[in-house]
Amino acid sequence: MLCVFGHIFMSLAAIVVALPIVIVCSAALNGGRTMYFPPEDPTFSRFGEFFFSEPVWTEALWNSVIVAVGSATLSVLLAWPIAYGLWKTGSRGAKLLAGLGSVPFALPPIVFGVGLGFFWAFLGGLGSIWAGIISHAVLFLALPLVTISIGLQAIDRAHLDAAATMGATESVTFRTIILPQTLPYTISGFFFALVLSFNEFIVMFFVSASAFATVTLQIFNSLRNGYTPTMAVAAVAFITVSIVVFSAVARWGDLPRLMGADQSRT
Amino acid sequence: MTVAGHIAPLAETPPALRPVFRWGTVASLLLWAIVLVLCLVPFVLVLVISFGHKVEGAGWEWAFTTENYLRFFVGASWPTETTFLYVTQLYWSMRYAVVASILAVVTALPFTYLMTRQSRRAQAMWLVLMLTTLSLSEVFIVMGWDIILSNNSGLPMLFAASGLTDWLKESGWFDVLREWGLANPRNVKFKTSEVATVLTMSYLVWPYAVILLYPALSRLDPSLAEAARTMGARPWTVARTVILPAVRLPLMGTLLFLFVFLLGVYVAITVFADPSQHTTAVSIYENVRGSTLNAPFGAAQSVILLVTAAVFLLLGQRLSRKSQGPA
Repeated sequence: MLCVFGHIFMSLAAIVVALPIVIVCSAALNGGRTMYFPPEDPTFSRFGEFFFSEPVWTEALWNSVIVAVGSATLSVLLAWPIAYGLWKTGSRGAKLLAGLGSVPFALPPIVFGVGLGFFWAFLGGLGSIWAGIISHAVLFLALPLVTISIGLQAIDRAHLDAAATMGATESVTFRTIILPQTLPYTISGFFFALVLSFNEFIVMFFVSASAFATVTLQIFNSLRNGYTPTMAVAAVAFITVSIVVFSAVARWGDLPRLMGADQSRT
Repeated sequence: MTVAGHIAPLAETPPALRPVFRWGTVASLLLWAIVLVLCLVPFVLVLVISFGHKVEGAGWEWAFTTENYLRFFVGASWPTETTFLYVTQLYWSMRYAVVASILAVVTALPFTYLMTRQSRRAQAMWLVLMLTTLSLSEVFIVMGWDIILSNNSGLPMLFAASGLTDWLKESGWFDVLREWGLANPRNVKFKTSEVATVLTMSYLVWPYAVILLYPALSRLDPSLAEAARTMGARPWTVARTVILPAVRLPLMGTLLFLFVFLLGVYVAITVFADPSQHTTAVSIYENVRGSTLNAPFGAAQSVILLVTAAVFLLLGQRLSRKSQGPA
């Protein structure tokens, strides 16, 4: 009895979660300039506009890719020494540093965006794309920080002891044991940061100062003029990227473990 | 890492003199500097500028004035005239955030529990769906719900076409809906309404709730619930006496995280909420980059938003500590 209720509840939840996504995706097929559901005069030509022919969107897409890849790389590079220090020493200072690095992600992004707007205005970076890259790297620093920390904790201490007894130096141990064993977690952290950066727009809105636009920012800026099917194409593209990335993490990494599931039960 | 290799022959020298320590110090100092400057300075700037002074038509200047905070609580032309416009906005911020986060947690808890009872493979699939919606930009989610809820497509049209509207009118529920602001004289409407706002905001954080509750629920020992069931406890009793107490702390933590997150929501409010029910986040945006351009006042509102978040976090911590104490 309970089992039946459970299945009904879960299916219902899945439907509600999927509903707006399905509707946005189908709206991308509209032939006209207005969003209709179900789509009128279905066509795939909006996809061509988004990816190839409309400079507004192709430019925004290019900016999105640059910012996402750049900021995810930067935040992994910044998160590694912080997570490594935390794992190696476990000192109060290292904990404080990791805590500080997670602050921007934990607070409302609009406040961090306002602060970054002031910050870059003073440094003269307002409206430049590298300021956007650094801002996103800091905003999503917490993600690789968490995944890399989980990876470091997963290393079997016996391997480290064995390496030490065989006279391996710290650098050799790092290269041959620590780095390969944490690689899947590092890559997961990279992709989490990448996907979230792809979709973020509030912080980017304050940092870009209208000098450049990413895809989500472009949509945000044209909200007042109403939606167009081309925006729905952007949604389709972004959802596809997310599904591919997270499925890859689930396939090659251990997603339940990354999300904090118990290891002893399978 | 090559540094460690170079100093290997120097192993006899006392540890304190090894150059690797100095390199390590320089590197860690650099790391600290980067994190402090990038993670903390923006917030410090917001705090400092919130005491600044707006110059008519010319931006703002450094100052130490509390006029921005005064304006927030009693209006700009106090004491001749008092308005509570900005306090009301903060009230709406909190109201939406509280209702939407509770709604999300209450529905996500049974879902996550059922999910953790499934096979590891099924769990991974659910997690992929959750992470996809979680990372999905607010603009796309609002776009989807906007199509579903807007008056000339989606649900209201479905209501009218299926005859549900007529049935509501006959049964008298229509007047109730009108009282709740969910209907215009002809048909049901969800834009603009508090229901639509709260629903969309709740949808926005729902995957976060699942992801945050997942670790605690997946570590829950299934033998406990089973033992209670074999001893004849009804499902509801099991949930109340075994599952809920075990996840009380993560539940509270999740609720607080969702609340803080929802305080900053912008797009969902501007699309679904009536202008008289707009929030502090909308006002911050208007002041910093929008039409009114008063950066110090926007900064002051940001500080107040952070203080509100901090107050709720402290209250939550105290509440969960109390519940942990001797029962």
